[in-house]
Amino acid sequence: MTAAANTLPARTIRIPAPTVLAAVVVVLFVIAAIFPSLLAPYDAFHVDLGETLRPPSFAHPFGTDQSGRDVLSRVVSGAGASLLIGLGATAVAAALAVVLGVAAGLGGRLLGGGVNRLIETLFAFPVLVLALLLITVFGPGVSTLVIAVGVANAPGYARIVRGQVLSVRRSEYVEAAHATGHSPARVLLRHILPNALRPLVVAGSLGIGQAIVWASGLAFLGLGVAPPSAEWGALLNDGRTYVTVAWWVEVLPGAVIVLVALALTALGRAMQRRFGKESG
Amino acid sequence: MTTVAEHSLRARGTRTRRILGRAVSAVIVLWACATLIFFVQILMPGDRATLLLNQVSGEVRTRTAAELAPINRQYGFDQPILVQYLRYLGQLLHGDLGTSYQLARPTTEIILGQLWPTVSLMLAALLIAWVLALAVTLATAGRGRFRSATGSGIETIAAALPQYWLGILLLLVFSLALKWFPAEGDLGPRGLVLPALTLAIPIAGFLAQLMRDEFTRALSQPFVVTARTRGLRERQVRAGHVLRHSVLPAVSLSGWAVGALLSGAVIVETVYARPGIGQVLVQAAITRDIPLVSGIVLVIAATYIIANLLVDLAYVRIDPRITTS
Amino acid sequence: MRRRIAAASSLAVLLASGLTACAAPRQTESGTTVHGGRVVGGKVVDGVLEYGHEQEPSCLIGGWVQQVYLMRQFLDSLVTVTADGAVKPWLATSWSQSPDGRSWTFHLKPGVRFTDGTKLDAAAVAYNFDSLLTGAGANSTAQAYLQEYYAGSRAIDATTFRLDLRKPYQPLLPVLAQGYFGIQSPAAMRRGASANCVHPVGSGAWIVRQWNRGQNVVFTRNDDYNSAPSTASHQGPAYQRSMVWKFLKDPTLRYGSLETGASDVIYDVPTVDWAAAKRSYAVQRYITPGRAVSLTLNATRAPFSDERLRRAFAYSLDRKAGVDSAFHGAYPYNGDGALSKSTPGYDPRFAGTYSYQPRLAARLLDQAGWTARDGEGYRVRDGSRLTAQVVYPAGSIVTPETVTLLQDLQSQAKEIGWDVQLVPATQSAYFAGEYSTRTSYDAMTGYWTSPTAGVMYITWRQDLANRPNSANIAFYNSRRLEGMIAVGNAAADPAQRQVAYSSAQRYISDHALAIGLYAQTTSLASAPDTKGVWIEQSQGEPVLSDAYFTGGQ
Repeated sequence: MTAAANTLPARTIRIPAPTVLAAVVVVLFVIAAIFPSLLAPYDAFHVDLGETLRPPSFAHPFGTDQSGRDVLSRVVSGAGASLLIGLGATAVAAALAVVLGVAAGLGGRLLGGGVNRLIETLFAFPVLVLALLLITVFGPGVSTLVIAVGVANAPGYARIVRGQVLSVRRSEYVEAAHATGHSPARVLLRHILPNALRPLVVAGSLGIGQAIVWASGLAFLGLGVAPPSAEWGALLNDGRTYVTVAWWVEVLPGAVIVLVALALTALGRAMQRRFGKESG
Repeated sequence: MTTVAEHSLRARGTRTRRILGRAVSAVIVLWACATLIFFVQILMPGDRATLLLNQVSGEVRTRTAAELAPINRQYGFDQPILVQYLRYLGQLLHGDLGTSYQLARPTTEIILGQLWPTVSLMLAALLIAWVLALAVTLATAGRGRFRSATGSGIETIAAALPQYWLGILLLLVFSLALKWFPAEGDLGPRGLVLPALTLAIPIAGFLAQLMRDEFTRALSQPFVVTARTRGLRERQVRAGHVLRHSVLPAVSLSGWAVGALLSGAVIVETVYARPGIGQVLVQAAITRDIPLVSGIVLVIAATYIIANLLVDLAYVRIDPRITTS
Repeated sequence: MRRRIAAASSLAVLLASGLTACAAPRQTESGTTVHGGRVVGGKVVDGVLEYGHEQEPSCLIGGWVQQVYLMRQFLDSLVTVTADGAVKPWLATSWSQSPDGRSWTFHLKPGVRFTDGTKLDAAAVAYNFDSLLTGAGANSTAQAYLQEYYAGSRAIDATTFRLDLRKPYQPLLPVLAQGYFGIQSPAAMRRGASANCVHPVGSGAWIVRQWNRGQNVVFTRNDDYNSAPSTASHQGPAYQRSMVWKFLKDPTLRYGSLETGASDVIYDVPTVDWAAAKRSYAVQRYITPGRAVSLTLNATRAPFSDERLRRAFAYSLDRKAGVDSAFHGAYPYNGDGALSKSTPGYDPRFAGTYSYQPRLAARLLDQAGWTARDGEGYRVRDGSRLTAQVVYPAGSIVTPETVTLLQDLQSQAKEIGWDVQLVPATQSAYFAGEYSTRTSYDAMTGYWTSPTAGVMYITWRQDLANRPNSANIAFYNSRRLEGMIAVGNAAADPAQRQVAYSSAQRYISDHALAIGLYAQTTSLASAPDTKGVWIEQSQGEPVLSDAYFTGGQ
């Protein structure tokens, strides 16, 4: 995602300010996820019973929580779990989408029709509702969370892939490849997939932010990651108890989620505008 | 005369066929949903009869075969999967969504009992979302860079607000601090305000984003120019012509909106401890009350399918050229 | 143009404020007064009482203390207890024990009827005991207390009931004061468990009108109520005509509900709001007797199969500081792992045995061979880490504050080199028995509310193949320990009983089998105009039949 801002050649007309801002937020988010110690002022798990529920200050920009832990450090340390969940769920969704989308686009009347119906069927389940069904059956936990959000997001991506596969298949160069006697598998791998995947990558980068929000929503419902993990939904779920006397334990981590989701979306949009045109 | 009548007859014929096709397709998808839900249930690890007994009695015990046998018989857990599946479909055809383990009541009855709070919440939210989206679009779209950017910024932020967080903020400010609205799940009109706003704001953001795009595009269309040259005032042009044009694509999102409203209702009802299907669903998921969860999920899927069918049919009526994509 | 848009964008706001205007929380119409009641002798009565509770059980009756809170509202018991542990009459006006201590005869108040119109006589009481302990209406907690002792029940005549035991059980009366032994209508019980769950019938001050799942239980007044306990502040029907028992699991919403006037009384005041609640509301606190909330250590597997390590663990934790911080001073620290400090028969001498002594803890661990530390600061021995898996029933059984406490303790233990892993057991996993085996945890949090030190017979009786005891969550089988408690339960002489219970308490403490954390606490806050709410003294249920409002027109 960060590449979007960096790989633009210098001569490009200027990058809009919001995009730069979004890129900065995303870079910070990724640093927090990979090297939390670079950004976290304190140990996110260090309890200090003499410093509980302190409001934001210079020493603790986000205040401290009910155990005297630094809230900012906890938000930073939770970034990794949230990013992993977001990426994981998007990867699950994308993988499913490729399989379904290609089958729907290339399969004949019977297979294609069947897969189309399956995509439609999955569409009928709102993300959160499908996730709740899977959690009920398999029990809460990180892997259920990732799979549930991934499966629930898959049909949207599958439609994109199918659309691309259909349009690429009809395009001249694929027909040319067919005519020159290349095997269907080769045509699929060499020509159809790469072209179909590009919009999927864009959609996926848009979807990571959404996946993070969904996953933290489930954690908020008490069906996600357990304490003392600082996964963002778990942080919010924790902070809810103290919100009347210590707004910062709830409001500030939530604001960070919003900021990151916004930045990821903005970057995804920017990518869509830039690359979307070429692929139609 | 006759040719025109024949033509319209034929058109009506194809239209009827198309409507029928859509309906059949919806039924197939509904059946697929039920099948999917059934097989997901089968995958549940652990002994269902034990879970059921312990949940209902609220204690932790290893159950004896003598205790489990009647439960297995009652729910048919000892039958082959195919038999269970057919039995499940048969029950569905009779409008029987199964019986909740926890509440020992038919799922249909539980859903009906919780329907109104959720539906009223969704309707109120949908109304508010439309009003907000229209207001922001009309006020800012195509009105100079600064205004447009502000409007667009507001929409983007609104669309990114997670309802669980937004809900707590509104609760904190308008209920706990200002005491304007009740804090808990009050079913009266006063209790509806904060939950409906929470549900509406992010959806309004999405709708407004879509409308703004269409609105801006429509502003540069020939018919707008024509309208302006006809001497219509800017206000009439925007509200009368452009708006109508930009609202249609948003209407086509109704199916999506139903899904978003349902998902959102789950969160919002939990945040505000408001009774409704969403809260029952979350509670049932926590207690792993499979029949209740799957019953509610099926009803939600059916709602979505029917909403989409209606949108489709409306489109077929409005524009007979549209074919299945 | 601009005006119209402004109007459109503020429509939602208008809508909101319009709605605000048309429905004030407590509507005052002519003829009625606040809470929909009327003023009689300075009290507002015949109104509606709104009570905000926390957990919602899956059945209105049963063996969980959360079910007892509800059962107390519609069931009467044979006897009741006062704050100092004295037993007082309720449905039974008097009672006697046979010389051999095995038979108890109760004389019942005449003329009491269940709210379904049937008679509450000796036959009904006998039916209840048979059903609770051996029959279809089995109550797991009632069984845990009496199954070993119960021989049978007999209705001698309409108002004389005899309970026969296999061996003497001296704590019987306070045990019977608990809601588990509330007397239900046999006719209602015969309808079967599912009907009885939703519409149980007793002789109490309130009648279950409707249970709106996920929302509330609506009670209406039993207008013929004539069997209030002798400890009630008034006899006869409840003051209010209706009582709404709301389930508000979220602490913020529950407190907010009191603050916005939607509830007159709330349960479990969030501890973070306790100080503020004390200033603005009438608060009451009840320290529940029985076993306090403690960490019970699994004595059958490493690390806690080694007594030295159990002691070292106890010394590693500054539990008092943790409890005071996590509960903001609202809940009392309870050092003893066997009994809560409010339990009749509790011996305070062992509460301080395991004070916070990090150096001693480290020395004990060194002696046990856990000398080295790994990169993260955890102790290791033979390549394995000093790990303790602490399981806690999350969600409605353990409150958020307890989770905070456990995280604080986890951090303290880390200083000494323990890798404490917190495992939240979801309610369903917990009830599915995933954490009931000897290999599923190293320590488990839990409590047992009980009005007698005799509860140790439940929590520490041996777990044997022919006599399983799933409440022995330490899996610690000692005939000696069981014997001491059994002697206490049987001893007619109070002094002798106290000695026996004390020795059992000492034994549990000496062997560091359970580490006390805090006493389970009932806290209530009532709006300034709501009076007369009191707390039952065997388990801490709110009693709402004496509640009235002040003020008026």
